[in-house]
Amino acid sequence: MNKKLKSIVCVAVTAISLVAMVGCGSKSSSETAATSAKSSDNEIVLWTPLAGPDGDTMTAMIDDYNKTNPKYKVKHVPIQENDLYSKLPSVVSSGKEVPDLTIVHAERIPLFVKNDMLVPYDDAIAKDGNNIKEENYLKEGWRVGQVNDKRYGIPLDVHTYITYYNPDLLAKYGPHVLDDNVITMDEVKEVGEAAKKDGIAAIGVDWMRVMTLAWIGQLGGDITSDGTKPTVDTPQAEKALKTMKDFVDQKIATQDGDDPQQLFKTNKLVFWPEGIWMRNGFKDSDVNWKMTNFITFDKSKLLNWSSSHNFVMFKNPARDEAKQQGVIDFLKWMGNNSIKWATEAGQNPASMAVQNSPEFAKEPQAFLAKNPDALHVFNYQYYGYVAEALDKIVLDTVFGKMEIKDGLTQAQKEVEDRIANGK
Amino acid sequence: MDKKSYTPYMFIAPHLILFIIFFGIPAVFGIVISFTKWNILGTPEWVGLKNYAEILSDSSSTFYTQFHIGIKNTLLFTLFSVPFCIIVPLLLACALNTKTKGQKIFQSIFYLPTLFSISSVILAWGFLFNKNFGPINRMLGNSINWGGIQPYTWIAIVIITVWWYIGGNMVIYQAALAGVPIDMYEAASLDGAGAITKFFKITLPSIKNQIAYTLVITTIAQLNIYGQPLMFSKGGPANSTSVLLMYIKQTAFGSGESIAGIASAMAVMLGLCIIFVASLQFYFLREKA
Repeated sequence: MNKKLKSIVCVAVTAISLVAMVGCGSKSSSETAATSAKSSDNEIVLWTPLAGPDGDTMTAMIDDYNKTNPKYKVKHVPIQENDLYSKLPSVVSSGKEVPDLTIVHAERIPLFVKNDMLVPYDDAIAKDGNNIKEENYLKEGWRVGQVNDKRYGIPLDVHTYITYYNPDLLAKYGPHVLDDNVITMDEVKEVGEAAKKDGIAAIGVDWMRVMTLAWIGQLGGDITSDGTKPTVDTPQAEKALKTMKDFVDQKIATQDGDDPQQLFKTNKLVFWPEGIWMRNGFKDSDVNWKMTNFITFDKSKLLNWSSSHNFVMFKNPARDEAKQQGVIDFLKWMGNNSIKWATEAGQNPASMAVQNSPEFAKEPQAFLAKNPDALHVFNYQYYGYVAEALDKIVLDTVFGKMEIKDGLTQAQKEVEDRIANGK
Repeated sequence: MDKKSYTPYMFIAPHLILFIIFFGIPAVFGIVISFTKWNILGTPEWVGLKNYAEILSDSSSTFYTQFHIGIKNTLLFTLFSVPFCIIVPLLLACALNTKTKGQKIFQSIFYLPTLFSISSVILAWGFLFNKNFGPINRMLGNSINWGGIQPYTWIAIVIITVWWYIGGNMVIYQAALAGVPIDMYEAASLDGAGAITKFFKITLPSIKNQIAYTLVITTIAQLNIYGQPLMFSKGGPANSTSVLLMYIKQTAFGSGESIAGIASAMAVMLGLCIIFVASLQFYFLREKA
């Protein structure tokens, strides 16, 4: 190859590579257009952590809204939960392509506020004539959207961890248990003693983090003493874990490695603690099921661990007052038209208009409306640290691989160290 | 600048540009962050070597404990998995090299797992290893809790990893074996050498460079273990499969506020560990060669 030809080939290869790279870059931007927050002038971009079937329901609801010909149409961008929460700090700090509206889990709101990432709704709500107000929403959903007397979140739902039960098995092993519509720990034990002879467990060891949190709350404990200091290592937490460990040891609960969902679906488990959102998983199952409040220590104190999808506005220089009004219009519509969120996604919409509707009364999760005070969101600003610290110890302590006291000491220390090293 | 001086740079430019953008800049940024206290949002605060002191010498700190558990489990996993990730693909490549009937189909079947995402791999194997309903326990006639009791958890994770990893190394060995002259085997046969002798005296020496290469890249890949223990055993039982990348990810991008400085310090230490192990392997393999 002569020198001239060699140079030409060399330049051509480099040029093609660069073009390819630029091409890849453009392709990537257009591919991520789906996740981009760049909105046109008459569009509200809504980011949500609803990447599964719930996301399809949300998209369908938004399609219904867009058919009403609003001034600002809404564009739904579902993003996998972990990706969404990883992405938000960088887009908000850069101020570029920030979504106009975002659905977040309410327990994250205090930290977003602490980091000055959110815009309060108060002015926008006042300008609209205070049409968005407390009495229109479930009390707990509304409570968690408020931090330091400012309203940062408008609730879509309050989704709750409850108890699925098998009525056939319950009729056999504990026919009187639901006479008062409450399942107590003592009753679980009673059912377990009767059922284990047939190789059937009474209670599933499922999402132990939230089961433990619910029991801590029922026993009068909390995960913080003053909103800042964590209280993970408490007598209430110890009692909750000890009770469950005893159930495991006595074969009243499912054993290590068991799959509670499959056991429940095959009639080998009486009580399956799970989220209301899991009910769609029964569509292809023959099992007879019903749902009720989460199992409680004391029948006079119900407490169901809950979270709440809240609509929030992250700081976005491109969102002007008119678009903010567009957001308010959308939230008002959603308040009155979120029945699909109950009927299709199996959720518990926060809107009282939906809560009081006859369609919602037919839904299995409608029992939650009878005890709205039992819904509890742990919206502590360091909830994330507590959740991750508990995840590391709850199963190991319940299954006897770690001493309960050691586990709680470890979790308490982890949260304290992470708070000390955070900024 | 004359043509001669810039021509080589133009050849390496495409890779160099990609390397700088996707490795160089993030690596330097990560190292700088490891000397700061930063939550990703605000301005990083320079803290010097504090993060390193915390993870390396402050035994009362949670991060010290997590770093040491994480690095120990990462090294254990590498030790358990790398030999199988080399030997199994090598044996399969040798078997396929005999040009048996259906060789191409088997080659495709063995290569296929490499194309799957870790989520789908764990979903499939999670079902196979299910304590109550899994076919593996059915075949073994017992109810082993693969995800919750050691050593079964490590065994399951290594099996999953080897199955997932077979394809990449296998094709490298196949290509290498295709280059070994057939007359060497024929001559050895005339001298009365058996299959095992031929494997150790002809096959292995002929493809030693490819084995050395796969040994280094496989070790580096396994030191970056993350998805398998995260999704299969969630780091359990009792943190025995909690690997360092799980702690790094949770510290930097967990549910709570980011502690990016400490996470970066852990990541830098893991990087140094990988460089050290890879250099050691290169050194010894070069000596032998």
